[in-house]
Amino acid sequence: MWAIIKKEVKTYFLSPIGYVFIGSFLLMSSFFFYQYIFYYGSVEYSYLFYYTAELLTFTIALLTMGMFSSERKNGTETLLLTSSRSITSIVMGKFLAALAVILITQIFSLIYYVIVCIFAKGITGLTITLTTLGGFMLLAMAYIAFGMFISSLTENQIIAGVVTIILLLVSWFLPDLSPAFNIISPLYQFQKYPGGVVGISETITLLTQTILFILLTIIVLQRRKNLK
Amino acid sequence: MSGFLGPNGAGKTTTMSIITGYIEPSQGKVEINGYNVSKKPRKAKREIGYMPETTPLYNELTPKEFIKYMAELKGVPRKMRKQEVERVLKAVNIEDVKNKLIRNLSRGYKQRVSLAGALVGNPKVLILDEPTVGLDPKQVTQIRDLIKSLGKNHTVLLSSHILSEVSQICKKVIIINKGKLVAIDTPKNLEAKTEKENVLLITVEDPENKIEDVVKSISNIKEIKLIKELPDGTKQYSISSNDNSDMRKEIFSVFAKNEITIFELKKAEMSLEDAFLNLIDNQKEEPEKTKAEIKKEKKELKEKRKKEKEDKKIEKQNKKTEKNKEKTKNKKKGGDK
Repeated sequence: MWAIIKKEVKTYFLSPIGYVFIGSFLLMSSFFFYQYIFYYGSVEYSYLFYYTAELLTFTIALLTMGMFSSERKNGTETLLLTSSRSITSIVMGKFLAALAVILITQIFSLIYYVIVCIFAKGITGLTITLTTLGGFMLLAMAYIAFGMFISSLTENQIIAGVVTIILLLVSWFLPDLSPAFNIISPLYQFQKYPGGVVGISETITLLTQTILFILLTIIVLQRRKNLK
Repeated sequence: MSGFLGPNGAGKTTTMSIITGYIEPSQGKVEINGYNVSKKPRKAKREIGYMPETTPLYNELTPKEFIKYMAELKGVPRKMRKQEVERVLKAVNIEDVKNKLIRNLSRGYKQRVSLAGALVGNPKVLILDEPTVGLDPKQVTQIRDLIKSLGKNHTVLLSSHILSEVSQICKKVIIINKGKLVAIDTPKNLEAKTEKENVLLITVEDPENKIEDVVKSISNIKEIKLIKELPDGTKQYSISSNDNSDMRKEIFSVFAKNEITIFELKKAEMSLEDAFLNLIDNQKEEPEKTKAEIKKEKKELKEKRKKEKEDKKIEKQNKKTEKNKEKTKNKKKGGDK
């Protein structure tokens, strides 16, 4: 699994995707940061995550769209599936690699927190920031797992990317229609974290969504082996 | 060293995909050095080096990085990895391009990188799907020599549709067509088997067109056929005889007497190519299965599997009850004591 993580992270940064993802994410974050912190004069850094979480809904597809679709298109899937690695470790390797890229992005964006601390003349709201960061990573996990699952269904990257974005957008707005949809919306589940509340049910829901889509991806790959 | 032959769409690549565990077989099983690929995939796959037909590679990596990644995937221990990568780079002779991006390599080099990926980790079984397709003649001989040398201490299964290649390299030939096995034998035996008739090829200069009458005067000759007229005025014929006797001596003397000049006289030998074509053509066309038949087969298979499952269940239960009996016996014994 470690070999796959290493290679995948490397591939993200050998192609423009890694840089485009981190770059666009940081650019938009700094815009939000300027607007929210400077314009309104707020020092509540964790509130910024409301915006970056919405941003993630659009940009996550960059990381996930090629995960399995491009391997399938190039035929390199053969190399993975005929190696002695199990399908589970291949899927987990790719999942963790994408998560690593997001973690790198978050480490970069901690600069904003440092700036807030400088202006506030002291460390402010460290626990809230950390819990929100944790929640954000959970949200990212659910998103990656979902995008990965979509990517395993097609061999066309573009289709995988567009479908991922559309379905995530749908899940974003569904709770507006009826509270019954709250549970399938990762973004809705995330909403409590920036307020400093670590909800057990929210955490469990996000983790369940992650595990569900990882399992579905494994099943898709396994099934395809039998149906070729 | 086995060659795997078949016309396009015969199922060579599919068979290889099944052997390497890329596709699950719908029936039957594959065993590599005693490990069942479906049941013990990790162990079985470790024994295999597979070079797919399309030579899939990661274009954004260099050959060195690619081979290192393959070594990691195949579970080559960390200590030996560097050494192993160097060994393989040397074996396929790509040391000079090892730090270039694979994207920028020529087809021949890509092919070799792919072969290197199969070799890494020194697997006992090598499965090569058309390894010389699209190479220039020099590269073809290089790769062929390499494969030949690999055959000394590896089991190699090589698919190809270049027959001369297979007859040169392989000791054994497997021919399949439309998913069915047609023949397994050595190239020589296959050639011998198809050599049914005693046929001579002869090129003569015969301005008076006497040849057909002359030939008829020789005993044992079944028929003579004009193959082609050559631009220099000579004609090529094929002559077949009724038995296996060598007709060349007689033909030579009779033709000389009749002033027919022989330019060339040779026995027509069946090549592997003829054997191949013969075998493929002779395979009986099976009537297409009707939908009802397919349905019936599927049903039977389902029932068979169901039965197997039930049998297993019963076996398990039997074992359980036996165990329980033993337990109660032991308890009784304990109680007696």
